[in-house]
Amino acid sequence: MTRSIGKVLLFLLLLLGAFLWMGQTITAMTGGEKKAASIVEITPEGGESIFWGKGRCFTCHSLGDQGSAVRCPNLGQFGEKFLMPIGERAAERAKERSEETGENYTATDYLVESLAVPSAYVVEGFKDEMAIVYAPPIALNLNEIKAVIAYLQSQGGELDLEAIENPSEISAKYYARIAAATAAGGGDPGAGLEVFDDNCAECHKVQDEGGDVGPDLNAISLKGLKFISESILRPAKKISKGYETWVVVNQEGRRTIGLKTRDTATEIDITKDNGEVVTISKADIKEIAIEEGRSIMPEDLIEAMTVKDFQDVQAYLMMQKGESE
Amino acid sequence: MNRLFRPLYKPTLAILALAALALVGTPAYAQEANEYRQILGGDSRKVIWFLAQLHLFFAAFVLGVPLFAVIIEVVGWRNKDPKFDKLAHEFTSLLSVAYATTAALGGMLAFALFTLYPSFTGYLAGLFKDVMFLYALLFFAETFCLYLYYYGWHWMQGGEQFSKRLQWLFKGIGSAIIVFGLVFFFGGLGPEMRGDTRSFMTLLYILPPGIGFLILKDRKSVHIMIGILLNVAGTAIMQLANSWAGFMMSPAGVDQDGALTGSLWVAFENILATPIAMHRMLGNLAFGGLVAGAYAAVKFIGAQTPEEKAHYDWMGYISNFVAIAALIPLPFAGYYLGREVYSTSAVMGNNMMGGDFSWTFIIQAALVGSLFIITNYYLWSGMTRIPGAQRYYGYIKWILAALIISFAIWLTPHNLPLTGQEVGQMGGSQYHPTLKFMGLMPAKNAVVNLIILSTFFSFLLYRRGNKSDVLPISQQGRLPRIIIPLAGLAAVAMVGQYGLSLLNMDPAELDLPADRVQYFRTVGYLLLAECAVAVLAVILALKDRGKLAQGLYLGSTAFSVVIFLGVYGFVVMEKASPFLRNVAVSQFLQLISCLILVTAIDFFLFRDAKEIGKLQWGKISVRSQYALLALTFIITMNMGLMGFIRSGLRGDWHIFGVMRDTSPWSYTPSNYTMTQMVSLTVLVFMLGVAFMFWLGGIAAKKGPTEDQAAEAETDEP
Repeated sequence: MTRSIGKVLLFLLLLLGAFLWMGQTITAMTGGEKKAASIVEITPEGGESIFWGKGRCFTCHSLGDQGSAVRCPNLGQFGEKFLMPIGERAAERAKERSEETGENYTATDYLVESLAVPSAYVVEGFKDEMAIVYAPPIALNLNEIKAVIAYLQSQGGELDLEAIENPSEISAKYYARIAAATAAGGGDPGAGLEVFDDNCAECHKVQDEGGDVGPDLNAISLKGLKFISESILRPAKKISKGYETWVVVNQEGRRTIGLKTRDTATEIDITKDNGEVVTISKADIKEIAIEEGRSIMPEDLIEAMTVKDFQDVQAYLMMQKGESE
Repeated sequence: MNRLFRPLYKPTLAILALAALALVGTPAYAQEANEYRQILGGDSRKVIWFLAQLHLFFAAFVLGVPLFAVIIEVVGWRNKDPKFDKLAHEFTSLLSVAYATTAALGGMLAFALFTLYPSFTGYLAGLFKDVMFLYALLFFAETFCLYLYYYGWHWMQGGEQFSKRLQWLFKGIGSAIIVFGLVFFFGGLGPEMRGDTRSFMTLLYILPPGIGFLILKDRKSVHIMIGILLNVAGTAIMQLANSWAGFMMSPAGVDQDGALTGSLWVAFENILATPIAMHRMLGNLAFGGLVAGAYAAVKFIGAQTPEEKAHYDWMGYISNFVAIAALIPLPFAGYYLGREVYSTSAVMGNNMMGGDFSWTFIIQAALVGSLFIITNYYLWSGMTRIPGAQRYYGYIKWILAALIISFAIWLTPHNLPLTGQEVGQMGGSQYHPTLKFMGLMPAKNAVVNLIILSTFFSFLLYRRGNKSDVLPISQQGRLPRIIIPLAGLAAVAMVGQYGLSLLNMDPAELDLPADRVQYFRTVGYLLLAECAVAVLAVILALKDRGKLAQGLYLGSTAFSVVIFLGVYGFVVMEKASPFLRNVAVSQFLQLISCLILVTAIDFFLFRDAKEIGKLQWGKISVRSQYALLALTFIITMNMGLMGFIRSGLRGDWHIFGVMRDTSPWSYTPSNYTMTQMVSLTVLVFMLGVAFMFWLGGIAAKKGPTEDQAAEAETDEP
C-alpha cells in the first residue's frame, strides 16, 4: 500500500509540475504583476500606462495589432473598418458631432466626451456598453483621464496638451461632470438617471421633468453631497421649507397626512405619500399641525438600491446645478 | 460517550472563533482607515489565501460527499440492495476525520482574518453578526447530524415498521411541508427575494425534509431523514458563507460608507450570493465524487485480491458517475454566475474574460479540457470490462479526434504574445492569419459544445456496451409513452420559447440598426427547426425506432450547435457583435435539450434488454485508476484557480465600492504566483486527505471482504 501511495504522490507532483510550468510560461510571455503608479503625468506616456493598466481600457479596446480585445472599437488603424487611428479619427468624429449637436466640437472635445459620456456617440455595430471610467471599480481621477486623452491624441493625431489643460466650453462641461461624479464617491451619472427615474422621478422634478410632490431638485447640487446623501438615507432629518408633513384631523376624527399643496381661504389640499390629493374644507378641520421628524418620502427607499445605485444617483444629483442642458 | 463527543472539540473551537469575531465586529470599521498586520513581516494576503483555499477544499469535500451518500443509501433502501447501503456507509466513513479538520481550518482562517485584516474583518463581522450566530448554530446542527448519521448507521437498520397511525402523521407533516414549500416558491411567503434564491431555498431546504417525512416508516428511513437534515444544514452553512463572499463583490443594503441602510436580508441576499451558491453546490458534488473516486483508485492500485479490486473498481465507477453528472451542468452554472458578474459590473466582467484574468482562463480551459478528455478515457477503459462493448471500439478514435481538435481550438488564444522578430516573420501582425479565428468566441462556443456532446456520446456507448436484444418501447407499457413525450416537451419548450423570443426581438434592444433583425431571424428559425426534429425524434422513439431517433436528434444538434452556429457566429460577430451572446444561449439550450431527450429515449431503449455477459468488475487497467486520480488532482487545481479569479475580480477593493484595499498587496498577482499558491494548497490538501484516509483505514481495521466483492457484481454499467 505504501508503494502505491508513493507512486500516486509522484504522479501528483508531476501534474503540479506541469501546472507550475504553465503558470510560469504564461507569466514570462505576458508579464507579471502590474502595480499602478500612484501619480500619473498628463502626457502620452502617462496615458499609455493607464490605458494598458489601471484604466483597463485594453479589456475592451485593441490598438491596431496591440491587444486582443474585440468587444469595442479598435483604436488603432485596423482592417477595413478602422482606416485611421483614433487620434486622426477623432477629428472626423468631431465634425459629425458638430453637425449633430450644432456645437463646435474639436478632436479633443470628442475624446473628452467619449470618456465622460460614452453613450453620446456609439460606433455602428457596437453596443453601448462602455464602462464609466471615473466610477468604481476603475475610478480614474480627472488627471488620469486627461493623460489617457493625451495618449489617444498621440495615436496618429495632434498632441494638444493646451486643449486638455484649458478646456473649451464643451470639454469644461464634461470635466465638471467627472468632478461631480468623483465627489459623489465615483458614481455614474448616466446610470444615476435611470435610478432616479425608477425611484425618485414620480415625486421630484429635474430639468422640468418629474412629479410635483417633493421639492424640485434642479439645483440640488448647490446644497452639497452631504445634504443629498442624508436626504436619501434619512429623509425626515432635514425637510425643506414648504415640504413639511401636515396632519389634519377633521370633525369626524379622520386623520389625513401629507404635504399641504394648496391653501385657499376656504379649503386646503393635502397630497398623500401615494400621490392622492385630498381636498379638505377649512370648516371641517378640527386640528391641523406640522408633524416634526416625519417626511412623506419613503424611509426605506435605500433598501431597493445597491451601493452602486446609491453612488450613481448621488453622482446624477451632483450634476444638477440649476442649469438646463 | 467520550469517543462520541471527541470529534466535537474542533468544531466547537471554530464556532468559538466565529462567535468572538461576531462579538467584536462593528460596521464602524468601514469608516475608519484600514489596518493591516503581518506575521513575521510576511505577506498577509498569501497567509489568508492559503488558509481560505485549504479550508474550502476540505469544506467542499465534506459538503459534497453527503449529497450523494444519501442518494446511494436511498437507492439501496428502495431496491433492498445492501451493497449500495454499504457503499454509502463507506463514503460517509471518509467524512469523520475530514469534518473535524475542516472546522479546525475554519477556526484558523477566522483568527488569521481578524489578526491580519482587523478593519475589514471587523466590519464584515459587525454587519453580518446575526448571520454569523446563525452560522454557528447550523454548525452545531450539522455536527450532530453528521455524527448521528455515521455512528448510528448500523443501529438504525432493520426493526419493525412504525404503526400506521404514526406513518400517516409523518405523511401529513411531509405533505404540509411540501405545500408550504410550493407556497413559498410561488412567492406567497417570506421576504422579497430573487427568483434564484427562492428556487434554491425551496429545492434544497424545504422540499427534501418534506419528502423525508413522506417516506418515514421505519428506523432506516429515520436514518435517511437524518442524512437529509445533514445536507440541509451543510447547504445552509455554505449559503451563509457565500453571502459574505457575494457581498464583497456585489454589496447591497448599505450606503457607500458601509452603514446598513435597511434590513440585513438585503445585504445577505446580494446579487451574487445565490449564483455563487448554485455554482458551488454542483462543484462540491463533482469534487466530493472525485475525491472519493481517488480513494477508491488508491485502494485499487494497492489491492491484493481480485475481490478487493472488484469492490474498489465499482466504487471508483460510482464516484466518477456522480462527478460526471455534476460536471456536465457545471459550465452552465458558471455561465449564469458569469452573466450575473457582468450585470453587477461590466468592468468586473470584462476584466474576467478579457483583462487580468484572460490568460488565467486559458489555463482553466486546459484544465477543464483535460477533465473531459480524461473522463472519456476512463469510460473507454471501463468498456474493457463489459462483454460485448468491443462492438463500439471503432467509434473511440473518432471521438478522440473530435476531443483533441476541440481541445486545441479551445486553447488557442486570439493574439499571441510574440517578440518583435516573430511579429515580423508573421507579416507584421500579432494575429496568426488562420489561427486568429480559433481564438474568437464563436469557435470557442462551438468546440466546448462538441466536447460535451462527445463525452455524452461516450457515455451512451458505455451504457449499451453489453446490451443486445432490446425490448421494443411500444411493449413497455404506459411509462415510456409519458416520459419520452414529457422530455420532448421540455426540449421543445426550452428551445422553442427562446426561438420565438429571438423572432420578436427588436434590434434596438442591443443598440443595433433595424436591418440587423435578419441575424436574429436566422437563429430563431434554426431553433424552431430544432424543435421540429425533437418532435420527430419522440415519434420515432415511440414507434420503436429509438436508435434512429437518437441519431437524428444528436446529429441535428451537433450540426446546428457546432457547425452552423459555429460558422455563423463569425458572421454575427462581424455584423451584429452584441447578438453573439444570444447565439451562445441558443447553443446552450439546444445542447441541454438534446441531453435530456436522448437520455430519456436511451433509458427505455435499453430497459430490460438482454445482456451479452456480466460486467467483470476489477478487470480494468491500472492506468484507468491513474485517470481517476488525475481527474481529482485537476479538479482541485481548477477550484483553486477559479477561486483566484472570483476573488481577484474585486481588484483593489475588499468590498466592491465600499471598502478599498489599501494594503501593500493591493494588486493582481501573476499567473505564476497563482499556480504556486494553488499547487501548494493542492499538495497540502492531498497529503492531508491521504493521511485521513489512512487513519480511516486503521479504524476500519479490515478491508473489503469477499462478500463485498460479491456485492460489487452488478450488471448495470
